[in-house]
Amino acid sequence: MVEQRGRRPEIFQLDDGGLTLAPLEPVVDERALPVAAPPPARSRFGISLGGLFWTALGGLVSLGTGLAISRLIEDLFARAEWLGYAGLGFAALLAVALVAILTREAMGLARLSSLDSLRQQSADALARDDRPDAEAVARALLALAKETPQLARARGELSTHLGAIIDGADLIRVTERTLMGPLDAQARAMVSDAAKRVSVVTAVSPRAAVDLIFVLYTAVTLTRRLCELYGGRPGFLGMVRLTRHVLAHLAVTGGMAAGDSLVQQILGHGIAARLSARLGEGVVNGLLTARLGLAAIAVTRPMPFAALPAPRLSDVAAGLIRKAADEAGEPQPGKRRAGGAEGT
Amino acid sequence: MAARITLLDEARIGLRSLLDRVEDIAAPTVRLGVTGLSRAGKTVFTTALVHALIRGGRLPVFEPANSGRIAGADLKPQPDDAVPRFAYEDHLAQIITQRQWPASTTRISELRLAIRYAPRRGGMRTLTLDLVDYPGEWLLDLPLLDMSFADFSRNSLDLARDPARAAMSAPFLAALAATDPASAENETQARALAARFTAYLAACRGERVAMSLLPPGRFLMPGDLEGSPALTFAPLDLSGETAPKAGSLGAMMARRFEAYKNAVVRPFFREHFARLDRQIVLVDALSALNAGPAALADLERALDSILTAFRLGRNNIASALFRPRIERVLFAATKADHLHQTSHDRLEAILQRLVDRALLRAKAEGALFDVAALAAVRATREASVNRGGTLIPAIVGTPEAGQSAGGQRFDGLAEVGVFPGELPASPDALFAADGGFIGLASGDDADSDFRFLRFRPPGGIGAGAALPHIRLDRALQFLLGDRLA
Repeated sequence: MVEQRGRRPEIFQLDDGGLTLAPLEPVVDERALPVAAPPPARSRFGISLGGLFWTALGGLVSLGTGLAISRLIEDLFARAEWLGYAGLGFAALLAVALVAILTREAMGLARLSSLDSLRQQSADALARDDRPDAEAVARALLALAKETPQLARARGELSTHLGAIIDGADLIRVTERTLMGPLDAQARAMVSDAAKRVSVVTAVSPRAAVDLIFVLYTAVTLTRRLCELYGGRPGFLGMVRLTRHVLAHLAVTGGMAAGDSLVQQILGHGIAARLSARLGEGVVNGLLTARLGLAAIAVTRPMPFAALPAPRLSDVAAGLIRKAADEAGEPQPGKRRAGGAEGT
Repeated sequence: MAARITLLDEARIGLRSLLDRVEDIAAPTVRLGVTGLSRAGKTVFTTALVHALIRGGRLPVFEPANSGRIAGADLKPQPDDAVPRFAYEDHLAQIITQRQWPASTTRISELRLAIRYAPRRGGMRTLTLDLVDYPGEWLLDLPLLDMSFADFSRNSLDLARDPARAAMSAPFLAALAATDPASAENETQARALAARFTAYLAACRGERVAMSLLPPGRFLMPGDLEGSPALTFAPLDLSGETAPKAGSLGAMMARRFEAYKNAVVRPFFREHFARLDRQIVLVDALSALNAGPAALADLERALDSILTAFRLGRNNIASALFRPRIERVLFAATKADHLHQTSHDRLEAILQRLVDRALLRAKAEGALFDVAALAAVRATREASVNRGGTLIPAIVGTPEAGQSAGGQRFDGLAEVGVFPGELPASPDALFAADGGFIGLASGDDADSDFRFLRFRPPGGIGAGAALPHIRLDRALQFLLGDRLA
């Protein structure tokens, strides 16, 4: 045993030249720290007044609907037996369809949650450089990518790398580069297309109401398509939640994005507005859509942007700004960057 | 073991706990048991815990305190009038003003704290915390309930004849060899034998051997029972299976052993141990490492035995109403400040390894267990020493007077830096069959693998200031966090 022993005990004097006192810092276990103080619950009884109201209302409405349907069927039976059976059949179909829809919604929501948690996990694994966690994330993403045919090649590549990479953070980065790279390019194109379409439609639409509706429609479709691209399958409720997340994200990142592109926006708008008011509105609406698209990418992508650069407004709105500039017939500062982004 | 807890005891425990539960409805109460073998740091831990709750302090991991939900804590009159009060003020003053560790726990003591806190949902509540501080040696007595005098004699003598204890037990064994259990009962002889036995047990606790498994516990801390017949017995070399004849020395010893169980062990079990909700077991693993592999193995056996006691508490659960269960047990390796914090994980691993065997058995019981390396009062600072380019992680503190290490004798005034030795990455290396390391027990000081000095409490703490600690907050979070949610 003796030859394997570590360093022997030793006593040092404080006036020893090599001795450096560490600052008197408390020993804190980072991993034992409470993550964050949970927010105080709104009510002492565990359910909020609003919740109570909606629960009660929902209960009454369902009871009412049920009662109405059963009355209707009874009436139908009273009129003629075959009518009653037909009504019963439709009611059964209704129930089946309702159950199917609810199931789909629930599954959509669950899937969204799992994507969210996957993003959280990969951020954690990246921060802690944790190999087992990173591998779990990589495997989950591989399973997710099975449903995306255009990722077949990337999937094969990653599967061969999986065992070979030792560092957890590296594994996450490689996974992101392989699996997310192709999807990011598509997402960027989608956002860019939607922004262009909105700006064109706004510019030519006869009424403000029309382009308002079109912008809303495009925004919702864009969000849904981005979510589907990154592996989610949002139903109606899922879309509601997703929209909320996107808007929240927009509110948070709005300030940061301002630094990046406010000058560009105002300048672009200024030039365009000098040309024509409608064209200017078109550009503004397009920029808005582009920015919404970026927020949607951020909340639907199952991994944070770590190895790959996050798309910037100038990347997706490049065509838009260039178009505005071209039509204004004069050079503008966004052009150089826009040209660079075209290659991606 | 269940059979030895009499039906009457069972009924009394049931009634008592029913009363406790009724009180609980009016004022939620947690009974937290603080125990540990002697010199593990029970008194210091209890003092620091009370101080941290009353005074506050830096407790980042203890969520209720950190998030500001604890409004305050006060000392209250304790519930059991017959039990001594934990002299919190005296102990605190001794640590802060005299820079001395308080005297060791020799008996059970209690302290009641009322913690006013805001639950997460809002509002204001009060949680009553009853601290019960008792010597861990008493836990080692609980398995005696299961034994007859013959079993006890066999076990004790086997331990006494262990080579690691041979030097200490020789006088007792010599006296024992000269005794015939069948001879007529004789008080003088009984007292002489008991005195030798007690002296042997006391010798086993010295720094150089640091044995832990030394039942019966009351022999070392007799309190007011000193000199009573219940404490005047010793194991005998009983040959054959036949019970000793009436009127013989053997019969007298057996009778006194039973008296010990009835007068000492059962009341403690019934009145105190069976009523605990939470338990922290402080373990001084460093002393065992100091002394050597035999002490470490002995500590493992003792912890095993302690865990058996917890099983006992949970085996006969009729219902939670009649039989409170210990829901959480924390095993804490104390004196973590004697190591650089880079070694704390290894110390925890060693403790985990020590209690592992016992935990395996207890796992099915449903209680929560955790293991932590902590220092209730941190007596040292950290430093690094540059030796030819390699940085040695060391600690700096004031060693207590009278110790010596590295050819130097300490006067209790000068601060020194200490590198106490390197704990192995895998604790199994310490438990190797051929003796994984060399301790003080094997003779030469210069040869031993570890040298953990005893340090004096830190200086310069004002009366109202918080005590420095290591992971006291984690212990608090584990033991009380859920009750303050």
